[in-house]
Amino acid sequence: MTGLVTGWGVLSAAGESVSELLAAVRAGAVVGVDVRDRFDEPLPTAQAPAIADFDVRRLLGRKGTSFLDRATALAMVACGRALADGGLTPDDDNRHRIGVVLGTTTGSLKSTMDFSRETLVQDKPYLVNPVLFPNTVMNCASGQAAIRYGLRGVNATVAGGPLAFLYALRYALNALRRGYVDALLVGGVEEYTPNTAWAAELTGAGPAGEAAAVYLLRRPTPGLTEAPRAQVLSVATGFQPEPSVDGLAGCVRRALATAKVRPADVWAIASGDLDADSLSEVVPVAAQRWSVRPALGDCQSVTGALALGVLLGRYAEDPDARGRPALIVGRSRDGAVAAAVVRG
Amino acid sequence: MHRVVVTGLGPVSGIGIGVNEFTAGLRSGRSAAAPITSFDASGFPHHWAGEVPAFRPEALLRRLRVADWGRSALFAAAAARLAAMDAGLSLPATDPARVGAVVGTTSGESTVVEQLTAELVAGGYPTMSAEALRQAPAERLSYAVSAELGLAGESVTLTTACSASNYAIGYAYDLLCWGEADVMVAGGADSVCRWAHAGFYRLGALTEHACRPFDRDRSGILTGEGGAALVLETLEHARDRGARIYAEVLGYGVNCDAHHMVAPNEESVAACMRLAQENAGVKPEDIDYISTHGTGTPANDLCEARAIRAVFGDRVPPVSSIKSMLGHTMGAASGFGAIATTLGIRHGFLPPTINWATPDPQLSWIDPVPNTARPATVRVAQNNGLAFGGNNAITIFGAIR
Amino acid sequence: MSDRDQHMAELREIVAEVLELEPEEVADTADFVEEYEADSLRAIEILARIEKKYKVEIPQAELNEMRSLKAVHEVVARHAGWQD
Repeated sequence: MTGLVTGWGVLSAAGESVSELLAAVRAGAVVGVDVRDRFDEPLPTAQAPAIADFDVRRLLGRKGTSFLDRATALAMVACGRALADGGLTPDDDNRHRIGVVLGTTTGSLKSTMDFSRETLVQDKPYLVNPVLFPNTVMNCASGQAAIRYGLRGVNATVAGGPLAFLYALRYALNALRRGYVDALLVGGVEEYTPNTAWAAELTGAGPAGEAAAVYLLRRPTPGLTEAPRAQVLSVATGFQPEPSVDGLAGCVRRALATAKVRPADVWAIASGDLDADSLSEVVPVAAQRWSVRPALGDCQSVTGALALGVLLGRYAEDPDARGRPALIVGRSRDGAVAAAVVRG
Repeated sequence: MHRVVVTGLGPVSGIGIGVNEFTAGLRSGRSAAAPITSFDASGFPHHWAGEVPAFRPEALLRRLRVADWGRSALFAAAAARLAAMDAGLSLPATDPARVGAVVGTTSGESTVVEQLTAELVAGGYPTMSAEALRQAPAERLSYAVSAELGLAGESVTLTTACSASNYAIGYAYDLLCWGEADVMVAGGADSVCRWAHAGFYRLGALTEHACRPFDRDRSGILTGEGGAALVLETLEHARDRGARIYAEVLGYGVNCDAHHMVAPNEESVAACMRLAQENAGVKPEDIDYISTHGTGTPANDLCEARAIRAVFGDRVPPVSSIKSMLGHTMGAASGFGAIATTLGIRHGFLPPTINWATPDPQLSWIDPVPNTARPATVRVAQNNGLAFGGNNAITIFGAIR
Repeated sequence: MSDRDQHMAELREIVAEVLELEPEEVADTADFVEEYEADSLRAIEILARIEKKYKVEIPQAELNEMRSLKAVHEVVARHAGWQD
């Protein structure tokens, strides 16, 4: 089960390209954007790794955008860019064969909590704005992206917080393998809001980040002419809550075996947080380790997608890296593990 | 390609907890509708829902500590525990990595998020509880199932709104077909919450006391809750361990309206039925019964009935909506539909659409199995799930051959 | 400005905001659904904002009638007792 990455749409505090993303992650220092004027509510910090200057009206037009939440708007923009970058134009012949699979944590926590708050603070609890009701469902971003670009194929939202992108990638590979679709926009989105900022602060996961990263994944078929930026060879997942079991290493071994890649050939690993010797029991210490979180904060369901962006940036800048396999890995607080094998 | 069968059922619903009670509830047309108790609904003109007041997670769960999980995760885990027991699965499995969980949901840990909202209203963001924040992510629904049953395989939560259980069943089916797992626990869970009640009321889509799908005078949904779980396994695995087989999963289809976030789309719903039937290798005339999405809103039932006619032509089989009994259990809804469908196949009956009084002249081709369960031979049955976001998902089950 | 002009201007502003238009784009008799891609959610929100602003209660059944700015004005006038 494999898929070809033929396009990307990446927005993060570091900028709007994988090369800027790579540069920020390489520098390692948190990318701080002044967020003081964004909300009426107080924020835990004056600066945060949030996306600067995102103007939804400029990017998506006035119509249909004023009631979108930021996560949905970011996802829509990222999806559009991935389609354009991959040279795929949805039309009446192909739109039922193109879909969307996005990772999430809780959807837009702000949309849900704002809507819920209205039921507590209005004169009557039902005096909520119905136009905002769809924003409270966690598949809002994928549904709106499908509407905007006319994509009638498999449309799914996969929850997994820090692992959500890897789960989405696995879900997508299955849909491609089964022949349900020919192309999928696969990614994750997280918005920076007082809700996420305080949630990260209060649970010790901070600072909260903000990003949307979506990739166009194509089914490897003989007719496909676009040159892929990378190939996703396999994704393995599992649930290993016992600390005594090294679930992630086992998961990585399974992913490598499925991809028919020898552990010694792994050239790089990317994740949210990695140490210099992370996974050294499986993967050579010499393999590069890339961590997106120090620069971009806690980006939850986009973490894995940003890790893929970093690897794509490396493949693009370094001819020696081409053709060499790399890993994207993750582990959640509850003990879930996931690993993907890619090759640029 | 492996064949996939249903060997265990775990309903935690307002008409019965556990497969025996639930079956009796379906057969007798029991209703879960009652005044809301899980939040203060006094300010709402309509204040009934299909809750599960008898749910005692501590009585059903063996491994999870109830205080560590939100209500929806507890519904999911309790349903999974019941399904595993019903399937006679020996746990932990010989190879736990070959057993996984897929759970669908609309609003995830909605009651946890509402607790956070109440804290925020009372004292501002910094007073939100860290423990509640840790419980809020939707992924914890499937993790609760995996932790409760000691499963080490894939554990994933699909948040595709009100068809999410069908997404879960479909994905689990694919993993089993492809030999990536031996057993998967699939289903869905959601909890009654204030914001959904308010939203549906505001849309004019919430009825007062009785949900009456396909009735001329239908006036909307009742919100509902619960957990639905099915144990799915490969046919070889089930036969090797001598498991009782309820039914076979024949296939499924998913597509997207790409039209409107809330309003269903007839053409797209019909296309999804065709996808599911093609995937399952069945024709419309093979299908003996449809468990509909049937929310009981004027718009949904009209759209769905028209889509059914477009696909089935003059041979529309009997259909029913168990939402008339359970209320709209959101992400669990198509899971309950799958359980009801499976039971209908196994025991030879069609679950009724209760509260039905007056035929709708606009739906003349619909036989809603009014008010009373009906004996019938069900060889193949279709289970519809539609959702906000245009996320349609339809599963098809058949008697084991 | 007459009461009617004042009310029409206020209603135009509400309608424009919910339908994501500039007030001057909202013609008096243009059909919200046909001309401005309104849906039932937006129609209900228009109703809700009117109820809030003028402290009137308008049954949702009236929504079927409220398909243009002029029609909205007539319905609101009836329920708010305006003598426009």
